[in-house]
Amino acid sequence: MIRVEHLVKEYKQSKRKDGPFSAIRTLFSADFVVKRAVNDISFTIDEGELVGYIGPNGAGKSTSIKMLTGILVPTSGIVEVNGIVPYKNRKEHARQIGVVFGQKTQLWWDVPVIDSLRLLKDIYKVPDALYKRNLDLFCDLIELHQFQNTPVRQLSLGQRMRADLAAALIHSPKILFLDEPTIGVDVVAKDRLRTFIKEINRDQKVTVLLTTHDMGDIEKLCSRMMIIDRGEVIYDGDIELIRRKYGEYRTLVVQFERPIADFDVAGAELVKSEGTKKWFRFNRNEASPSELITQIGARFPITDLTVEEPEIEEMVRSIYEGKSVDAKVV
Amino acid sequence: MNIFWSFTRQAFHNTAIYRFEYWLQLVSAFLMMYSVYWIWNILYTQRPGAFGVELGQMVTYGVIAMALESIFNPGQGPQMYISSQIKSGSIDTDLIKPLDFHLHMLAKNFGEISFRFGTIVLPAALIGFLFLDLQPPATALNGLSFAVSLTLGYLVLFSLNFLLGMVSVLTIDIRSIAWTYNSLVRFFAGQMVPLWLFPGWLGGLANVLPFKCIYSIPLSIYIGKLTGAAVWEGLLFQAVWVVVLMAVCRLVWAGVHSKLVVQGG
Repeated sequence: MIRVEHLVKEYKQSKRKDGPFSAIRTLFSADFVVKRAVNDISFTIDEGELVGYIGPNGAGKSTSIKMLTGILVPTSGIVEVNGIVPYKNRKEHARQIGVVFGQKTQLWWDVPVIDSLRLLKDIYKVPDALYKRNLDLFCDLIELHQFQNTPVRQLSLGQRMRADLAAALIHSPKILFLDEPTIGVDVVAKDRLRTFIKEINRDQKVTVLLTTHDMGDIEKLCSRMMIIDRGEVIYDGDIELIRRKYGEYRTLVVQFERPIADFDVAGAELVKSEGTKKWFRFNRNEASPSELITQIGARFPITDLTVEEPEIEEMVRSIYEGKSVDAKVV
Repeated sequence: MNIFWSFTRQAFHNTAIYRFEYWLQLVSAFLMMYSVYWIWNILYTQRPGAFGVELGQMVTYGVIAMALESIFNPGQGPQMYISSQIKSGSIDTDLIKPLDFHLHMLAKNFGEISFRFGTIVLPAALIGFLFLDLQPPATALNGLSFAVSLTLGYLVLFSLNFLLGMVSVLTIDIRSIAWTYNSLVRFFAGQMVPLWLFPGWLGGLANVLPFKCIYSIPLSIYIGKLTGAAVWEGLLFQAVWVVVLMAVCRLVWAGVHSKLVVQGG
């Protein structure tokens, strides 16, 4: 369905000059630095897959999505989506895909959601019957009827995201690109969005490529995950594997009354020490936080503690640094 | 064509929300028309016969030019939309639509323009006929040619605006350029002062630039300053510019799209 081979995107970034009158000199001549946002990535995605595409900020996720949607023209390499080269046939391509940018909206800001959907119906030339069927579906699954007559600027973020999903799916696309669809959304709304995405993928056989910073999205939705860092795909494969390897670590952060010397705790590893705070990393299958707390509390008075779950960025970093999770690593 | 109508409907929905702004625009259009009416009346009392046409014709020219300001104001063209989309990075949301970008901008802008034409220009013109001695078109043929000429003039203005919008893709900000551009358009299009009053070389320059397609040609046809073969020459001049500029727009967009950088995430 999606085929990407040796894809590269370079940006020219203008460099600011230093020294006296720098702002004025920039007006007359600018120096450019070439930045490689996407550096030789290759992958394929099959029809009906729901793939998570993750990586730290600035890793090149959005840039790749923009090339897959035909917004940006690649510097070199091959992109093909369902037999269409996006940047060459942008119009034709746009009919077969739906896109949600979590940080932006494609809806018209001042008018009720339903007016935007009606305009999109005309733009995509959606037949009346299909339009009505899709609206019914959205009312069922994301309760569109509750806010369809509200102007977009008055929607809550969760509602706006649902409305944007509806807008992306109004023409029943074959492929859905979601760029951080749950960013800034509360837990309940997140859950609803995830269920909706899952159902669209399962019932309508829509292929989904999703970028996120929320491990929950990946866990709930995807079976396959691609990790990108510094413009390169560094992991592509099973999600279970990576979760078993990296997702089972927790960090116990303990705040003591006064600074104390480093000490060992059975079942955990001291990873960081700063002032009166200490960080212990443990495997949640081998040690329980309550045991650790009892153990530590018995020796020193504790004033505060928290258990931290691993962040995606952290996993990505450990994969990047380790560079070998399994033979599956690209 | 359907899509043009859809965007007009959307413009209606969009603007209907800001009713107060609508009334302000109508009032300010009328005030401008009224000032122009008085200026020409005073000038004609001072120096009758110095302006090449009758007072009635001149007032009609000036007052309609002011009424058209609300659709032809270069500050509201597609370049402002393109520039703000580029600045915020929201241009993505335009590019994921199955529309040719150039035609998309045309449909969107045309929708807004038709809406303002119906709700501001026509009422303002009606007030003009009732209170400011506006004359009907010189002849029926002139009236008809005026309608065609106005449409061609709009397409010329749209294309120039679109090209300025393309500049904003490269420079991000066009506010300072836009200000100069707006004054240039108003001046060389003959909105305030008809081009036949321009002295020697300035008149010659204004005559070859595309700007005169916007106000000067349509209005000169309306008041009968241009008649017979001159009307056809004017329309031809406009048509040639429309074809040339449309082609340039499409070429430039193709080039710009390949260099596009989207701001933010």
